[in-house]
Amino acid sequence: MNIADWTPFSFIVVNLARQIHAGEITFSGVNSTLPMLACLLAKRAYDFPFTYINVAGGVEPQPITIPQSSSDPAIVHGSPAIFANQDFYDLCARGGLDLVYLGCAQIDAEGRTNVSAIGSWENPKVRLPGGGGAAVMLPTAKRVVTWRTDHSTRALVDKLDFVTAAGNMTALVTPLAVFTRDARAGSRFILESYQPKTTIAHITAHTGFQFDTAQAQPAAPMTVRERDALNALDAGEQFSAAVNH
Amino acid sequence: MTLVAGLRAASYGIPFQPVAGVHGSELARINHWQTLRDPYGSGRDVYVVPAVHPDIAVIHAAEVDAEGNARVYGSPFWDHPLSRAAKRVLITAEKLVPTDRLREQPELTLVPGFMVEAVAITAQGAWPGSMHPYYDIDYPAVERYMEDADGVLEKHLAEAPETRGGIT
Repeated sequence: MNIADWTPFSFIVVNLARQIHAGEITFSGVNSTLPMLACLLAKRAYDFPFTYINVAGGVEPQPITIPQSSSDPAIVHGSPAIFANQDFYDLCARGGLDLVYLGCAQIDAEGRTNVSAIGSWENPKVRLPGGGGAAVMLPTAKRVVTWRTDHSTRALVDKLDFVTAAGNMTALVTPLAVFTRDARAGSRFILESYQPKTTIAHITAHTGFQFDTAQAQPAAPMTVRERDALNALDAGEQFSAAVNH
Repeated sequence: MTLVAGLRAASYGIPFQPVAGVHGSELARINHWQTLRDPYGSGRDVYVVPAVHPDIAVIHAAEVDAEGNARVYGSPFWDHPLSRAAKRVLITAEKLVPTDRLREQPELTLVPGFMVEAVAITAQGAWPGSMHPYYDIDYPAVERYMEDADGVLEKHLAEAPETRGGIT
């Protein structure tokens, strides 16, 4: 992988990892393979300390194999402690989780998410799996970051079909763009950075909500350490193949 | 999380449980959840979720003795609140072990036998899921199950350990 060449997979994982700050307690949940990889990448590529806990109960795990599922017990291996579901939800509820990755089927400009239904709740076109704690975690985590593997007007919408959760969403990462917002001020997403080979016009055309582009910059290239960590985690290319198809 | 609040209410023996967050979610509307103002003066409005009383909890354990004392290794996920909230508890387990083994480290027993109504020994009983430390997720089996085609469910059931005679 050339450092200058982002793929959808590398753009998402590296930019998710870049959301982690020094000293934070960071959490990845179910159905969150890309955030799991981002946390493991950050451990390898960045020098600052942070605490990584995950939905399988792992605390600072040292996995031998990187599992396909982010809730696989393989992601607990090497943990000096088990911090299971009740514990991490309660930690979040009392304000002790600094950064939580939560998925979304739809997201709006205020960072609210829908993981409940497409169409109306009463008569849905698609019934989705549900929040998995999002309604509690999005408003109580200090910062929440989400991602989409497609950048489309289907997912990035002006109006959600259903509001599953609202709160402290601070970043949205897609294969093309990184949007950020000030959750405390309740402001809308702005375009912070983008894949250098795309254009702001292309991003605008594929985004269902309006956003400010005044501060938008091409994303900083992958560092050698980010690239090497990602290549090591994706040694069999099973993770990149699932996104880059 | 809101479900766990309901399970906690049941295990605490109270009709509802306060829970953090939920503000701004339409889940409150469709579930008819109410808020209560903190009676001790903080001014905060807190959502309260009604108790959830499962009729039966089925817990898959690593080891169980003949009395139903059940040991789980690794992460317990939701086993603890589920077993305490349910009216009846059934244990499936990978192995039957003598009670003396559980006496050696009683802190590893997640469910004491007096809460347990029945036990079944089901080796590979978490399949196609994983059971720490015995076996990992069977990803190919999960993928076969996910296929939307005729006969998928029947094939899955035929492959399951309980169908192959694993229960004692």
